[in-house]
Amino acid sequence: MKELDGLELPATVRYAESHEWARQEGELVTIGINDYAQDRLGDIVYVELPAVGVRLGVGEEFGTVESVKAVSELYMPLAGEVVAVNSGLQEDPAAVNNQPYGQGWLIRVKPDAAEPLAALLGRDDYLANLKG
Amino acid sequence: MDEAKKTRLHPWHRAHGAQMALFAGYEMPLWYAAGAKAEHLTVLQGAGLFDTSHMATVAVRGADAFALLQYCFSRDLSAAVGPSRKPLAPGQCLYGVFLTAAGHLLDDALLYMLGVDDYLLCVNAGMGAIVARHLEAEGAGRAVAITDLSDRLVKLDLQGPAAAKILWPLLAAPEKVFDHFPYFTCKGHFDPASPLATVLLADRSPLLLSRTGYTGEFGFEIFGQPEAMAGLWAELLAQAGRYPLLPCGLAARDSLRVGAMLPLAHQDLGAWPFCNNPWLLALPHRRERPGFSKEFLGGHALLRLGACEYTYPFAGFDLRKVEAAGGEVLTVGGEVIGEVLTCVSEMSLTRNGQQAVILAAPAPAGENRPAGLCCGFLKSRQPLRVGEVVLLRDQRRQLRVEIVAELRPHRTARRPLREMLAG
Repeated sequence: MKELDGLELPATVRYAESHEWARQEGELVTIGINDYAQDRLGDIVYVELPAVGVRLGVGEEFGTVESVKAVSELYMPLAGEVVAVNSGLQEDPAAVNNQPYGQGWLIRVKPDAAEPLAALLGRDDYLANLKG
Repeated sequence: MDEAKKTRLHPWHRAHGAQMALFAGYEMPLWYAAGAKAEHLTVLQGAGLFDTSHMATVAVRGADAFALLQYCFSRDLSAAVGPSRKPLAPGQCLYGVFLTAAGHLLDDALLYMLGVDDYLLCVNAGMGAIVARHLEAEGAGRAVAITDLSDRLVKLDLQGPAAAKILWPLLAAPEKVFDHFPYFTCKGHFDPASPLATVLLADRSPLLLSRTGYTGEFGFEIFGQPEAMAGLWAELLAQAGRYPLLPCGLAARDSLRVGAMLPLAHQDLGAWPFCNNPWLLALPHRRERPGFSKEFLGGHALLRLGACEYTYPFAGFDLRKVEAAGGEVLTVGGEVIGEVLTCVSEMSLTRNGQQAVILAAPAPAGENRPAGLCCGFLKSRQPLRVGEVVLLRDQRRQLRVEIVAELRPHRTARRPLREMLAG
């Protein structure tokens, strides 16, 4: 169990209160779960992701991430159309634990809004939120 | 979690990055840095070390101890050991249950006969005071002393095929301790003043050592005084260079136990009659004709039961789980027939193709099949057959599972000790 100050929270992504992260990459946004979420969940053994082409709104559930112990929902940090999912996670769900911001990415979205990350938190605000 | 109770090893768990959680009023490790999957697999391949000090112990001593336990504990102490049903003797252990007058579970327990008129019960976390009070009430006026030892001892479970080899160098006289140590027997005592305190660590600290354990694999439960045991914890883990060995938390403990087809008390056994479940060996059934071989609390109710629900082990077709709390059991036709009691991902199991019946040990080397199988226990209003498929449903998903007769094959619990010491 990582201490809050020991969490990896890169400044290159923005954060949702429900612990997803989002990163703008050209006109698309890549989404995953952050170090706090993967650490608290433990060993991820299964990931359920949406179908490509699905349109989802902010806060809508887009899948689940399952650890040895529990199943947890994933929530859209922004609205948009799913254009890609990380099918590599079928063989290697542990990538979500080991590289949550890299190879453990979950979905790629074409966002509806012009500034899709504006409503999300920077790492300092997210960490302050966690500390409560 | 400042009000939570803490075992003697709590500082070690925190210092080593354990994911902590509240369990029965104790802040306990769920897993450590290696993770629950590695811990589960390491127990099966080498050994795992569990802090189980949150489990409670109750001493039952005196001339009427036998009679009190005969009345309150479900096993027949006069006819319980081995195929010829010999009486329980000093140095032997029994698994059983304490039932209410209605035949419902009060708690399950391991009974240790330490000596004549001298018994120890290991019950579940938070249950020491409840079981002690229950025994005091039933034992009122009898020549028996009940002592709740909750939080006074440290208990460690060392579980896995390498357990004896790992413990060997830390004992003062290992050849003597491990000479003839059958499954479900115990040696020694945790009280240095006891004449039974014959099992000592190298530093002369006394242990009560039993060939039992929560996970259903080969190994030991170790009871001792807190300071000596805190030292033993670290010394055992220092053996990790020589064998696969990890500290293990509650997640691996539960998934190993369920995979061994053993019940989680107050989840798979509970406030319903103790009947039609996989653990009826706990009851003193007569062999030659129906009924029980002794009178005991709850026995009358069980003999007079009308309808009784059925508790079965199940295995799914992949590792996905449902949440037990609120989980329903349905026929494939969609009729709700029961509830889910426990559901875990047993990471050492997989299926041989889609064949329903065969469960295999970890996938053969070179095969990239994702390993892990959902398994657990369910309770049904109607009888089900082994091999029958039912549906488990929670708020998120619906899973096909089948009723099974066996889960993790090749469990090592009963292997001869000399085999586990060889090599």
